[in-house]
Amino acid sequence: MAYAVLVDTKKCMACRGCQVACKDWNRLPAGATKFRGSYTNPPTLEAHTWNHLIFSETDQGRWLFANYACMHCTDAACVNVCPAGAVQRTKNGTVWPDPDKCIGCGLCVQHCPFHVPHLSKTTNKMGKCTGCAERTSQGLRPACVTTCPNGALQYGERNALLQQAKERVQSLREQGFAQANIYGENEMHGLGRIYILTERPAAYGLPENPCYSASAWIWQLARRPLGKLASVGLFSGLVVGFLRWRGDRIQHKGDNTM
Amino acid sequence: MKVTRREFFKLTGVAALAAVVVGCDWENDPVFSHRLEDAKEVTTICPYCSCGCGAICYVVGGKLVSVSGDPDHPINEGALCSKGASLLNLNTVYNLRTHDPELNPNRLDKVLYRAPYSQTWVEKNWRWAMDRIAKKVKETRDESFERQADGITVNRTKAIAHLGSAALDNEENYLLAKLMRSLGIVNMDHHARL
Repeated sequence: MAYAVLVDTKKCMACRGCQVACKDWNRLPAGATKFRGSYTNPPTLEAHTWNHLIFSETDQGRWLFANYACMHCTDAACVNVCPAGAVQRTKNGTVWPDPDKCIGCGLCVQHCPFHVPHLSKTTNKMGKCTGCAERTSQGLRPACVTTCPNGALQYGERNALLQQAKERVQSLREQGFAQANIYGENEMHGLGRIYILTERPAAYGLPENPCYSASAWIWQLARRPLGKLASVGLFSGLVVGFLRWRGDRIQHKGDNTM
Repeated sequence: MKVTRREFFKLTGVAALAAVVVGCDWENDPVFSHRLEDAKEVTTICPYCSCGCGAICYVVGGKLVSVSGDPDHPINEGALCSKGASLLNLNTVYNLRTHDPELNPNRLDKVLYRAPYSQTWVEKNWRWAMDRIAKKVKETRDESFERQADGITVNRTKAIAHLGSAALDNEENYLLAKLMRSLGIVNMDHHARL
């Protein structure tokens, strides 16, 4: 059963509780930041910043807030390109990076359409949102969702959240937000993060029509079956080699005794 | 069962093909352990703004490991904003290079005293600070104490005020109010003037 996080941007007041709670739970250090003309800080996700809040100011003088973190795509580029199999999709729909398996090649960093994974300069491992897998597997909600003061972040069964999002968008449209829409229903075959927006996704800093390159897709096609074929082939080769060697040996022994 | 060489190759080939087509599920979900399993929960109140949100401190082996919102608290019902969510960092910060927890080096753990008209802070010990506060309170109270006003017994001082806090818990508020009243202080206020 797939689980997801619902981000209701209309309810968000940009307190950044999610940003701090994520750092505290996941034991991520805080780096020094500086003002670069936008309240979005740090300006991008980092190997030790898995979650940040994007502030966008519209021409009408309104603020748009969007919590931004790993989207946990159903068809995730990072899972498909990782040559070490270090990124996997768990049964509850979390795209989970295994730091012990990561070789720091950076393929996921190149291919992610959301620019979520980053390589740590100190440990040379990829760092990104783990969906708080150790919390959710114990029946707790992710740290960012737990701390959210006004229910802008919710965690639950994906289909139920999608239904809830549709009702919310309907009610927002009735309240006069004609542009209200859902982001994440079908993008990348369904994201693990569903956004309720009142403007086009681009206005919130979310990529419209995210996709990953053909090379990642070919890699995915080739790696899984060929990798297995290769390992099975190697094993059977070893068995055959052993049998032949043993057969030869028995024959030679026979020759000697006779 | 007797297997000839030819049959063995056939079987191996079929098994390999089947494994590829069906795709054996070698990758299982990782097993996660929960950091707060053996933690002792201690409730506290967020020290920052006047809302007074409740928080739970998780203590393992006498060390603070995590702080989160208290779901049973009527004010915040489990939520914490960025200031409240950073409560753990008053005590522990994570090293930027190694990610290891360490004591917050910016935390004040000594009494600092700046004399009137001075520009520098001087380190003092607690004994000195407590004595000085007590002396000043006694002095001010003795100077300004009123026994009677308009023929009514008041026994009060208007020269000292006390500013309480929404970030204190019930017991602390009770003790502070008791102390202030016993000194005759009537100007008691609270920073949560919402």
